[in-house]
Amino acid sequence: MIYSLLVLSPPHSGQGASTAVQFARAAISRGHSIHRVFFLDQGTYNACAAQVTPQDESDTLQQWVDLAQESNVELVLCIASALQRGLIDSTEARRYDKQAATIHPAFVISGLGQLVDASAASERMITFGC
Amino acid sequence: MILHTLNRAPDSAAFRDCLRFLTADDALLLLGDGIYAALKDSSSSEELAVTGASLYVLEADASAAGIVNLLGNDVTLVDFAKFVELTEHFPRQQAWH
Amino acid sequence: MPSNAKNSLLVVVRHSPYGSSVARSSLEVALAAAAFEQPVGLLFVGDGVLQLIPDQEPSGIGVRNIAKLIQSLPLYDIETLYADEQALQRYGLDPQTLPQQLLPLNTAAIQALFSNYDHILSF
Repeated sequence: MIYSLLVLSPPHSGQGASTAVQFARAAISRGHSIHRVFFLDQGTYNACAAQVTPQDESDTLQQWVDLAQESNVELVLCIASALQRGLIDSTEARRYDKQAATIHPAFVISGLGQLVDASAASERMITFGC
Repeated sequence: MILHTLNRAPDSAAFRDCLRFLTADDALLLLGDGIYAALKDSSSSEELAVTGASLYVLEADASAAGIVNLLGNDVTLVDFAKFVELTEHFPRQQAWH
Repeated sequence: MPSNAKNSLLVVVRHSPYGSSVARSSLEVALAAAAFEQPVGLLFVGDGVLQLIPDQEPSGIGVRNIAKLIQSLPLYDIETLYADEQALQRYGLDPQTLPQQLLPLNTAAIQALFSNYDHILSF
């Protein structure tokens, strides 16, 4: 089946974000495809490129990046949520005259239409809350 | 036929709201702090039992919390593969968080 | 490819208007769904009904007005707002004083509503 995920949970605060990425991997292992993961509200913090995870803890950012690269999963941040939190790509950095991009390039910034489109294109929508 | 997920502790508004809408046709997967709702002999586990919904607990979270042996008998521990399997079976998920 | 380009969407809102940014995000999801012509329902459950109180004036806390956003929903073809009747009673809110497109539902009706949509997005 085709799945899409909505992630509202930030990384490193509760298990929500880590649960979401492990769910995605398990779904792919069971033969499903993940069409898109849409990050909204505090969930957009998952894309922050400057996260330094303690060595004995799991690196959620790297897990998302691996998911995107190995399984061709789209990782999309809600633009309104991301900009408010200082999570920008190089295009937005130029537009708002900020020094540098702050998100990992495995993620893209787009509008809520991408969440609506994901729901139209997917047989399952799974939400991971705070 | 709804898969409910709950990741807030049993004293939360999320738990109260979730409890009201569970039916015997539904399943409830407890994760994060939601797992504590399934503690054996707790008032929350008794309230959940009354709904008739099937109860599941995410094993990774229950192990982390040290409560695997403190869960009631009517609870099924699930790994991520089984979590996915629940979403195959139930077309809709309602997340209480 | 989409197996069903018109999957209907139920947006479930259960947070107070200004306690977090989630309330605003959830309404914007409903608006986006309507803008992209996806069938969308909006259900206010539990503390979510607090978003329906009309005389909100959040200029003092420097954020946008959630009540105004809710009032604008019919303009975007979100005609019916469903509300948790039990939560309205619990907070002493009289449906007569709330947005007129509001339909209070009891618990059984809300349980039935969940199954009327292809997907649920819960906030």
